[in-house]
Amino acid sequence: MDFSAVGSAAAEALTLASFIGIGGGVLLGYVVGVIPGLSRSVAISIAIPMTFYMSPYIAISFLIGLSKGTAAGSAVSAILLNAPGEASSAATALDGYPMAKQGKPKTALQIGLIASVMGDILATIILIFVAIPFARVALMFGPYEMAAILAFALVFIAGLSGGNIFKGLAAGGLGIFLGTVGLDNQTGLPRLTFGYTELMDGMPLIAVAIGTLALSEMFVQSEKLRYERGTMSVAIKKDDSDRITWPIFRRILPTILRGTGVGTFVGALPGLGPSVGSFMSYGMAQKAAKDPQAFGKGEPKGIAAAESADNAVIPAALIPLFGLGIPGNVSAALLIGAFAIHGITVGPLLLRDNPELLYSIFAGMILASVIMLALGWFGLMFFAQITRVPPHVVIPVVIFFCLAGMMLQGYGTFGLVILMGFALLGYLMKKYDYSFVTFLVAFIITPMLELNLRQSIILSRGNWEILLGRPIAMFFIVCTVLALVTLIVRTFRTDKAAGGAPTSE
Amino acid sequence: MPRSDFWSGLAVAAFGLLALLWMIPNYAGSNPFAQMPPELVPGIGAWLMVICGGIIAVKGLVQLLRERLTLVTTELSWAAIGWAAWPFVYVGVAIWFMSFIKITWFGAFLIAGMLILLGERRWYMILGCSVVPVVLLYVLSVYMMRVGVV
Repeated sequence: MDFSAVGSAAAEALTLASFIGIGGGVLLGYVVGVIPGLSRSVAISIAIPMTFYMSPYIAISFLIGLSKGTAAGSAVSAILLNAPGEASSAATALDGYPMAKQGKPKTALQIGLIASVMGDILATIILIFVAIPFARVALMFGPYEMAAILAFALVFIAGLSGGNIFKGLAAGGLGIFLGTVGLDNQTGLPRLTFGYTELMDGMPLIAVAIGTLALSEMFVQSEKLRYERGTMSVAIKKDDSDRITWPIFRRILPTILRGTGVGTFVGALPGLGPSVGSFMSYGMAQKAAKDPQAFGKGEPKGIAAAESADNAVIPAALIPLFGLGIPGNVSAALLIGAFAIHGITVGPLLLRDNPELLYSIFAGMILASVIMLALGWFGLMFFAQITRVPPHVVIPVVIFFCLAGMMLQGYGTFGLVILMGFALLGYLMKKYDYSFVTFLVAFIITPMLELNLRQSIILSRGNWEILLGRPIAMFFIVCTVLALVTLIVRTFRTDKAAGGAPTSE
Repeated sequence: MPRSDFWSGLAVAAFGLLALLWMIPNYAGSNPFAQMPPELVPGIGAWLMVICGGIIAVKGLVQLLRERLTLVTTELSWAAIGWAAWPFVYVGVAIWFMSFIKITWFGAFLIAGMLILLGERRWYMILGCSVVPVVLLYVLSVYMMRVGVV
């Protein structure tokens, strides 16, 4: 490890600009996480245009801080409102809300916060120690290996991020198709641009991200308002007995450590996401408990298990991103876009070409965790008040920022029309259960996949036998085929099992 | 579910076919000397859509036949469709408006109008929620990003 780079990274993390940037990201993330209906990906997609004027380190740390903040903030609404700000905090609500109703809302929030911060810091440390060796190995990979790994990641995400592999693959197919729009790297000729010069650089990432994630989500939320209006949150009263104590902390500590392990494992695998991590951790904590019946009735271990895993997933999801350049989820995919906007290629090359930046980001992540603890601890009452903001107030403001984000990008009316098109696409994908995660990941990694595929074909001169001498590439090709077959068989079996029961129509 | 699967699968497969038969041959370009033709990767995406969309549609159709359901339903709630559609129309009109006037100048009206349509009636909420985001955008674009009024 380059200790001078580590030292300068730590120094950069402790500057005022760094504190303001990262603190701002965590604060914004916390506020967004607290508001039900606003998710992490919505927040990141809207925030990317705000980072244009920042330095690469501050911009990326701001977005990672925002990501961490949403994960911690979503626990507040889960505990006080029984309406998780993120789907991954649904497991937190199982015990958090009953505990709050029992007159211990502050204790529940503090347990959630401590579990979040511990899960986050430990997973960040694991990321630092795993991603760098991982990237060193990945630097030895050639285009054959990278193309095979990217194809495997895509199939894995398609199969695991939604229920139906065919819907996932169809969404991935659309992402691949749209990801090829723009100038062809080899011929230099426009491809699928239909004569629009604005598309020469490809479909604008900001329009695709904001449209499919944020704007479409606001349309879904406004539709829901017809059927459900806001609920009242549990109020926090001044009560000295309502706080976390040392015996409670000692009791939940093993659960936090286990949750962190589960979250890190799940986060490092592409496609699974924090919801799987938090529910898996919750289930394991319940199984390991002496009194499993207490779960669901305000058990502190339930909150600790869900929150530690939920927050551990965020840094762990960056292991494949920094190690291989592969986004494991939507937030990581958006980070690739943010890196690209700042002219940086994320992945193993980042370690070789720009190690100072990588170490600075790691230092920024640790700083974000500390800020998260301070903000969450001292701003508890403030964030509790935010849960009272009704969704019908949030929707128009977010829509305004979606449109403003496109204008800041400088695409003008053309960009807004593209944005609207993708908002409609995102709305339909959510409505008909097509994996927009797979779509977005496929859209973002397609240029990388195509480049590696092209290099492989040119280097091998079209001779596929060359793959026999590349065991890693062969391994991932076999894994891709096996994953595909397994997921297809699983989908057919699930459908067959559900075939006997009448459907909702 | 099977009905929506059938129609959505059909739409995906139809788009894939359109891409394969019209978009890619006419707009993907070609290079006879390239070892990897430029239409290869978009073609893979289009084939994925055709195959997977087709499978989803066929599975939906089989399920519909098994449950003796019709392909279309007359039980449509126009009120629900209208409620789902109006935000699209509202934002669409706003985008049209933005080709004439900058969002900073009419953003407050854009937010206030939607707040009222969504049921907000408290004047201080309408005023605060519509003015504050616009001021933030102004500060961000003019003073922080220095790109001028957007």
